[in-house]
Amino acid sequence: MRVFFATDIHGSEICWRKFLNAASFYKADAVILGGDVTGKVMVPITEHNGYWQVVLAGETVRLDTREELADAERQIRNRGSYPAVMSPDELTELSKEEGAVDRRFSVEMIASLDRWLDMADGKLKGGEIPCLLNGGNDDIWEIDDVIDASPYVTFGEGKLIDLGGFHLVSMGWTNPTPWDTFREAPEEELAAKIEAVANLVPDMGRAIFNFHAPPYGSGLDDAPALDANLRPMHGGAVMKPVGSTAVSDAIVRHQPMLSVHGHIHESRGIKKMGRTLAINPGSVYGDGVLQGALLELDPKKGKVSKYLLVNG
Amino acid sequence: MATEALGDERPALFLRKATGLVRGWNVRDSLIYAVLSTNFVTLGLFTFTYAGPSFPTGQLLTSVVISAILVSFLVVAYTGLITTIPRAGGDYVWQTRILGSGVGFVFAVTGWWFILWLWAPIYGNILAIQFFEPLWATLGSPSGAAWFGTDNGIFVVSLITIVLAGVLVSIGMAGYARIQKWCIYGGLIGFAVIVVLLLINSHADFIASFNQEASKLFGVNHAYAATNAAAVKAGYTAPSLGFGPLGATLLLVPNMMFFILWPNWGASLYGEIRGASDFKRVFRGMFFGLWITTALVVIFFLLMAKTFGWAFYQNANAAFFNGTFPIPVWPYPFMFAGWLVHNAAFQVILILVMSLWFFGWVGTLFLSSTRVIFAAAFDRVLPDRAAEVSEKRKVPLYSLILMLLPAVGLSAIYAYSTTFRTYTLDATLVIAVTYLFSAIAVVLLPFIKKDLWRASPASKVKLLGVPIVPVSGVITILLLGFCLIAWLVNDNYFVNNPSSLIFMGAMYVLAIVLYVVARVVRRRQGIDLGLINKEIPVE
Repeated sequence: MRVFFATDIHGSEICWRKFLNAASFYKADAVILGGDVTGKVMVPITEHNGYWQVVLAGETVRLDTREELADAERQIRNRGSYPAVMSPDELTELSKEEGAVDRRFSVEMIASLDRWLDMADGKLKGGEIPCLLNGGNDDIWEIDDVIDASPYVTFGEGKLIDLGGFHLVSMGWTNPTPWDTFREAPEEELAAKIEAVANLVPDMGRAIFNFHAPPYGSGLDDAPALDANLRPMHGGAVMKPVGSTAVSDAIVRHQPMLSVHGHIHESRGIKKMGRTLAINPGSVYGDGVLQGALLELDPKKGKVSKYLLVNG
Repeated sequence: MATEALGDERPALFLRKATGLVRGWNVRDSLIYAVLSTNFVTLGLFTFTYAGPSFPTGQLLTSVVISAILVSFLVVAYTGLITTIPRAGGDYVWQTRILGSGVGFVFAVTGWWFILWLWAPIYGNILAIQFFEPLWATLGSPSGAAWFGTDNGIFVVSLITIVLAGVLVSIGMAGYARIQKWCIYGGLIGFAVIVVLLLINSHADFIASFNQEASKLFGVNHAYAATNAAAVKAGYTAPSLGFGPLGATLLLVPNMMFFILWPNWGASLYGEIRGASDFKRVFRGMFFGLWITTALVVIFFLLMAKTFGWAFYQNANAAFFNGTFPIPVWPYPFMFAGWLVHNAAFQVILILVMSLWFFGWVGTLFLSSTRVIFAAAFDRVLPDRAAEVSEKRKVPLYSLILMLLPAVGLSAIYAYSTTFRTYTLDATLVIAVTYLFSAIAVVLLPFIKKDLWRASPASKVKLLGVPIVPVSGVITILLLGFCLIAWLVNDNYFVNNPSSLIFMGAMYVLAIVLYVVARVVRRRQGIDLGLINKEIPVE
């Protein structure tokens, strides 16, 4: 069985489109998106009399036609940002009113995800190819219901999912970050959440852990060390492990066949932890490149027979 | 959710609080890295020794300034790559993405891994001549000092360097980065002391001091005159300090690349970048690093011309180059500057302080190699083991072996073959080839990755409406092309003899063989390495 795993596409529409095409491109039997589906940036496009205006890569651009507007929106979406068309007054109000930006962000994120899930229909043979999505620590809570309601994809969080005889369990929470994001919990709490899903697995020899946080100290969790102002120290030359000890302990204790992770974009890599193959394919969503892992699972032997990290 | 608005009058974008949204790094940090990489003390002084006598009528000072101007375009080109594809991995990532997997692999492993095996004994040689030799001499053991210049001495110091660099790779950059910062501060203080010494002392003071200390430490009488005579005897006529002739001065430029081509050495360390302003930030770190180095060289040359005498410095280098230098150690100008104070303790301290330029720099020798080996292992081109890190000791044992063992072998050849030692510029040439392909990548970038280029802050940096990044790429190609042609056709760089070419060619052959074998073996295992960088269709 061939599985394609990617993660942390952060609102990049080009990466989402590639993800949907990955099954046919790599001849995968199932595709998994490991969390952090939503973007971090919203770009306002102000609507004026007969034209629109937007700042793209630091340069103010005037858009005179609907085609130019559509092209600018496409560019913004492909970079993982949300274009938000509004009047200049709306933009001013948005900046002033408490919570208005958050509300608009949520609206754009949900609308975008809805659109994405509609695209999934034709690409996944109407649900024939299993497609699993999960939330990550950066994803707002509202996306859970949207994904859950889609007929073409499965929302993985906290569930045991049968994947051609392999047991997939997912958990999108992470250990605390300096950014205080949505799905963060102290290590003890994280350990309890992991145990709750791990206990669902009938046979660890055929288990796949899909945990957003990478295991601590595995080399899959190295991020630039930051100072108190969230500025990379020593020109970004110094990396430090920032993964979860709860995830690491769970892998060592349960020894699943495979453990797939994300969260730390720059820490693309592979690590053998006992009999477990742990993978973080990393993410460069901003470049429009979908990094992922192609995994060949041997149903007879219950092991990962082949793997390859790809930049699709 | 917490959000942040970016923009002057009206927000140009809104950021929500999410993982990884870090503030830009401090320009000072990347500047320090660039100054240490274009290390005018370790690499600069080393190359001046050989460059001047190789092209006797060329002007060192002018060639350094011309080199810096030309390398500034390389800085712009690399800034374009960094801000467009801001990924750790540098040349490997850019070349594989833009030019293809095979090209990226071959030029990344040759430029950032294989050739660093040769850099190990070069570092060792520099440690010997700038640290051990002057230290032993000043402590009263001229024979001990001279031993470090022997074959055995060079080999032993190379081994010390390899162990030192290997240990620093093993313990990680966290502690070392802090040490680096103190090293550059200490090194600059040492240089400031030398500047003062050269300013307050006259030419006559220097001649007297040089003669006195050379006699005391090495038993060489009238050493100043003897040095000048030795150069003349070797057929060398020192040029006076000036600006021309341009032809011979331009031929010095490929020599200068040995120290000035590396302001982008930290390029592979940059991570995610979020805004257009980061083009300026990345550029400033490398650019000012390069020009601080250039300014230090100019100050040093002018002061040395005033106090040492420009002809004397050139003669000392020429005499050493021809094996006729009356003093049995390398002509280390900072040791000579220390002789202006007739106090052994002061002289020792000055040598120790100036050695900080070496110790702040040595840790980067194998740092990029580890990254390339890991990247190649994750891409399944190298065996998985190459990326293994020992659980107990947290040491990347196999990648260390892949770096250190060949480096030990090459150190032995370097130490015991004086012919091989002349291939020093091979170490620059191979990396210049890697840079050349990155420069080609930056020129092709707007055509091959149109969307990526259009969205990049680099595409907005224009002069008279023309984007300067690809233009800088073209100038960089011309610079590196000129250097490559000069290295390959002119005997005075000592890189174009058959064995040197075989040595370098073997590295490319090894890289190609590794890649082809990996493709074949993995295909037999049912893994298609061709898939690694094959783009998934969007529609």
